[in-house]
Amino acid sequence: MGVVVVVGTAKGAFILRSNKDRKSWEIEGPLFKGWKVTTAARDADGTYLFGTASDVYGAAIQKSKDLKTWRQVSAGPAYAEGGKHTLTQVWKILPHNGVCYAGVAEAGLFRSEDGGESWEPFTGLNEHRTRDAWCPGAGGLCAHAILVDPRNPKRIWCGISGVGVFRSDDGGVSWNAKNNGVPVIIEDKDYSDIGFCVHALAQDPNSPDRIYRQDHRGMFRTRDGGENWERIENGLDSGFGFPVARDRASGALFIVPLESDEYRVPKDGRFQVFRSRDDGDSWQPLSRGLPQENFFSIVLRGAMDVDHLDPGGVYMGTTSGDVFVSVDEGDSWTALPCRLPRVQCVAAFVDD
Amino acid sequence: MLEDGGNMATVQIRLPSVMGTVVEGALQFSIEAESVGGALEVIAKRFPRVGLHLFDETGGLRPHVLCFHNGKNTRWLDNLDGAVNQGDTLLFMQAVSGG
Repeated sequence: MGVVVVVGTAKGAFILRSNKDRKSWEIEGPLFKGWKVTTAARDADGTYLFGTASDVYGAAIQKSKDLKTWRQVSAGPAYAEGGKHTLTQVWKILPHNGVCYAGVAEAGLFRSEDGGESWEPFTGLNEHRTRDAWCPGAGGLCAHAILVDPRNPKRIWCGISGVGVFRSDDGGVSWNAKNNGVPVIIEDKDYSDIGFCVHALAQDPNSPDRIYRQDHRGMFRTRDGGENWERIENGLDSGFGFPVARDRASGALFIVPLESDEYRVPKDGRFQVFRSRDDGDSWQPLSRGLPQENFFSIVLRGAMDVDHLDPGGVYMGTTSGDVFVSVDEGDSWTALPCRLPRVQCVAAFVDD
Repeated sequence: MLEDGGNMATVQIRLPSVMGTVVEGALQFSIEAESVGGALEVIAKRFPRVGLHLFDETGGLRPHVLCFHNGKNTRWLDNLDGAVNQGDTLLFMQAVSGG
């Protein structure tokens, strides 16, 4: 058994490989030199799908069976020529039960039923009645979070920065905003159901209506699929942050709080991860092995992942290119011997 | 000149090296076209993986992509109807700005 961790950066992807003990790592790369690698996924057939992007040359999806030979799909997610919207980045690719979902910027959601070769838009979301009022956040107008109910694939959640969480119960035909209990960030003059700034979502696959939400306005949890959200910040000195990850093996949650939306850096230069072992009821700081002074780099929303092994591995990359690994569910951390470009995404995959 | 007697010409297309991952290293190839605009259309239709990165949803070149016809920036042309001749080159580059 081995673990493969894809670290997507502003200038290519790097592949970290280790065996099951995850003590030593080989680092390969960059793949896609000169391109941003914005998201990475692997489908049930073992095919890797990366989102690549360039400020000059736009965005695309690349596929590979072996992380060595790549082919760009020729009919990736796209907005209509001559339309109002431009596709600038693929933020999230989620293979699920034979369907591949892609969240993009400008904000939209697409699906593929042929392994990512061709894509169709979720028109009910991409042309939602509120669409013209969607206002981009600091990271742009991006659909970055996708969840699918493992019990019922017609039930889909999508998180869009500056807009909020939407849920479809009919396979993506119609979408309703689900933000009750979360404070609005950008109040719209016409629509009261948008203007919420979700940063990341994580779901309990054993109880899919239980979703954890790192929001601009704090940490939240829903126990009813998004109908109601409650604040869960016991033990946190700040609710602001970007990523949230949940380890399936232990049920532990991981977040990286920052000092307020105004400053967006680790408070006092102390880099800490917070973990919850009680579904978000309380949080404890983790700092062993992490820089505790003069550290002002952050972890972006897609730049933390877990491997779901026992004990759980947690992986995160920072905007200054550091990669930190924990193989004891966050109790201790090791900085890998590298300094990469700005880390956009981290994705962990386990091989049998 | 093609057999049909039209004004088609073989045009050399040269792409920037960063596009190597898109075209599996084949950064130079040739197409048949009558005009500069026609050549751009051929690229977009016959080579959609390349076209995706050169053209955006407006149908035109992406804002920071430059195309030079025999060394002349096509953005400076009044239109793209000008004929291409056998052996002409269309060179694509990114507009480098800032620092």
